Amino acid sequence: MILFVSLFSSPAVAGEFSGYAEAKGFVYPERARGQSPSVDGWGTLFNKWEEKLGEARLTASLRGEWLSTDDQGVRLLDPADRHFRRPPFSVQDFWLRLPLSPEIDLQMGRFQLGWGKTDGYSPADAFLPRDLTDPYADEKLPLWALRLSGQKGDVRYEAVGCPVTTPWRLPVLGSRNAPINGEIPRGVSLREMDSSPPVLGFGAIRLLATFGQWDVGGWVRAGIRPAPILEFRTDQAVETSGGIEIPVERRYAEEEGIGIELSRVVGAWVIRGEVAGLFSRNDHLGNAAIGSLSAEKAFGDGTLLMTLAGNAIDPPVDEILLFDRAILPALITAWTRTEEWGEWKTVWSVGLKHGDGLVKAELSYNITDVWKLTMGGEAPYGSGAGGFGALDAARRLRMAIRRSW
Amino acid sequence: MSNKKTMVTSLVVIAAVISALLAGTVFAAPDARALLKESENRHRSKTQQYSGNLAVVNREGKVRKKGWKSYRQGYAGDAKTLTRFTDPPEVKEVGFLSISRPAGQNDDQWLYLPSMKRERRIAAQDRDASFVGTDFNYEDMEEFDHEKYRVTLQGEQTVDGQPCYVIAAFPLEGAGRSVYEKKILYLRKDILYLLRMDLYRKGDKQPSKIFTLSDLQHLEGHWVAKKWEMSDLRKGSRTTVVLDRISYDKPQPVGRFTLQNLNREGGD
Repeated sequence: MILFVSLFSSPAVAGEFSGYAEAKGFVYPERARGQSPSVDGWGTLFNKWEEKLGEARLTASLRGEWLSTDDQGVRLLDPADRHFRRPPFSVQDFWLRLPLSPEIDLQMGRFQLGWGKTDGYSPADAFLPRDLTDPYADEKLPLWALRLSGQKGDVRYEAVGCPVTTPWRLPVLGSRNAPINGEIPRGVSLREMDSSPPVLGFGAIRLLATFGQWDVGGWVRAGIRPAPILEFRTDQAVETSGGIEIPVERRYAEEEGIGIELSRVVGAWVIRGEVAGLFSRNDHLGNAAIGSLSAEKAFGDGTLLMTLAGNAIDPPVDEILLFDRAILPALITAWTRTEEWGEWKTVWSVGLKHGDGLVKAELSYNITDVWKLTMGGEAPYGSGAGGFGALDAARRLRMAIRRSW
Repeated sequence: MSNKKTMVTSLVVIAAVISALLAGTVFAAPDARALLKESENRHRSKTQQYSGNLAVVNREGKVRKKGWKSYRQGYAGDAKTLTRFTDPPEVKEVGFLSISRPAGQNDDQWLYLPSMKRERRIAAQDRDASFVGTDFNYEDMEEFDHEKYRVTLQGEQTVDGQPCYVIAAFPLEGAGRSVYEKKILYLRKDILYLLRMDLYRKGDKQPSKIFTLSDLQHLEGHWVAKKWEMSDLRKGSRTTVVLDRISYDKPQPVGRFTLQNLNREGGD
């Protein structure tokens, strides 16, 4: 690792070069089903290269990882992130941005999108693929997509075409990180079927405008919803020496969505709101009417953020299987603060339906400008019928050290 | 010939007397507003751009360094500024866009955070928050617009060996929210350039922060302080900025000072 760091941290090629190496350790006070280890490790090496080609910009990055858990896939490289496990190497950025005019950009390749206005939970962001290998990291997966974006006066516009579906990545079913852990009876094991996700992804258009203290926006999208619906094929269950094994399929539904975003500075607060109607002809997914409202206020070098999100339509199937909607309705409160020595944050999320919740705390210490030590912990609690409480066995303490360049 | 010469001499004398009278109205008993207007006129430039190396030194003497580049179009009351951090890696690509608003309103400000891939609006009340871990807050990042203040000349004082006018500036009621109750400006008398500003938070008898400008140079027809220092007297920390690669009146690309550009990953 040190050799890699020293090799890559020297600017041997043109353009800008940046990245980091990080080692993380997790300690779990509880062993899920008597099998999961009490200590896990995770190592990451990330390198990014950025080059300006006239007015165009080319960016490429590669992430190499080692995980001590079963969540690491066997495929060395999965460029489109379509496999259901996290590969040792993955392409995080590989995009070219061409200015078609001073105010219009065309971006093509693999990149991340961030659309939503409300932090914590945003219906506009909900369709973007997530990697739940670490269920608390809220990591978005990049997409292979084409994006046209521009601004005319106070109006911004964006059109995205994602020709290839990048599916959500779920933790190993039956592990402590999988929300359905508590639902599996003893003597039953799950065999995940690596069914191929659909090829076509989605298309979306978004408009944003700023009028004084108001920011307003709207979006529409149609295509494949990248969060899979799990289907337990009990009809195909087989008896093995270890008990009953049930195959689990992943299915992907089509969904259309329309959303409105509003935000406004109101005195000391920034108020943001989103509503979205999501429509699917798939019986296992159904429709949703999701709204979120957030209020943010600064206190010195700290920020308090509260987000309330809910779905006016009850999901037609087990909520736990609809991972992204399982926590709704929820209240998310986050307090972050920057200090001279680093920063800290605490987050308290409450599932209002089942009374389950999640308390997170993190403290980062800047040893130098490039070395950072982070300590934290996540403690889900409450009813196992709720999205947070279902992660009860995954409560943990963690420590990470990062060297950036 | 003699009459003609006498007439020319008389006109020169009259002109000199009128000039002296006019000058006297400004400089014999200078008015703070007139001085600030004159200062603004003298130092106005269409655009400015520079890269900056910034060092934050805390009470214990621990040093944190950052690099940024900054672009400005317009000046004071009609300024648009885009700032983009270049290092260290933790803040690389963080962007800040500030657009001046007329007197009575706070500037519009947005911060782009690469981790979120979108901008965040800075509420007026956030103006006291630290700007990316420095001793500058968001209000300090705005250019001083004297029209948003009631100003009075308080006298003269020497700063760094230079005689200066001392001007007190009080935020006007209804001119937008200010972090400060009072700002004391020290304008160098000969070139009317700001050398120091004492910043008083509300209710404070002593300045809570002192902003000093030094290493003045005359570049491309404009005076510029190549070194800035913001000392936070409460925290005991200071942030020093050294400007580099400064240029003036360079045409800025259309759309540089837009939210579209602020959100361009890896962009200027």
